[in-house]
Amino acid sequence: MKSRVRELREKRGWSQGELAELLDVSRQTVNAIETEKYDPSLPLAFRIARLFGQRIETIFEDQE
Amino acid sequence: MRPVQQRYLREFWPAIAAYVIVLFGSIWLLRHFGDSLGVTSRSALALLPMVPIAMVARAIVRVIRDSDELERRIDLEAAAIAGLVVGLGFFSLGLLASGKVIELDGSAVAIWVFPALCGTYGIAKAWASRRFRE
Repeated sequence: MKSRVRELREKRGWSQGELAELLDVSRQTVNAIETEKYDPSLPLAFRIARLFGQRIETIFEDQE
Repeated sequence: MRPVQQRYLREFWPAIAAYVIVLFGSIWLLRHFGDSLGVTSRSALALLPMVPIAMVARAIVRVIRDSDELERRIDLEAAAIAGLVVGLGFFSLGLLASGKVIELDGSAVAIWVFPALCGTYGIAKAWASRRFRE
């Protein structure tokens, strides 16, 4: 799944560690989502969307 | 380090240290006084290391329960691989022993199952984590 998490995080000047803390996940998880090696669950995707004030489909794009 | 992991280390290290002390204490007492003890006392003394091991198990269960979804997925993969590798490894040893190719000491085999599981789990976890790294 294509992800804009890195772009949105960098726009806010947050480190991966800071974003991980805000989402209550590990830095490894944030990194895996940003590098598109891991697709977050729906609840986590909603938390990410809420944090960035955007809709899920503007952050994550299904590539199938 | 996340608070979950900090709590895990706070719980894990004292428990594993207690395990080592209790294990050596239990072995020493059994060697020196085991013959003069009844079955109940000997059993209690032999099983004494299970108390700190239960504390280690509690720390592990708590950290897995409070891990995030990716960490849990990695843990699940690692536990499944470790279970299969160790289970099939000991099963193969059993087959070799029943075919009289090797001789096995039952108590040694039983004692090594848990450490083998922990060691294999650690290796499998490192391997499973690699897929999600940069």
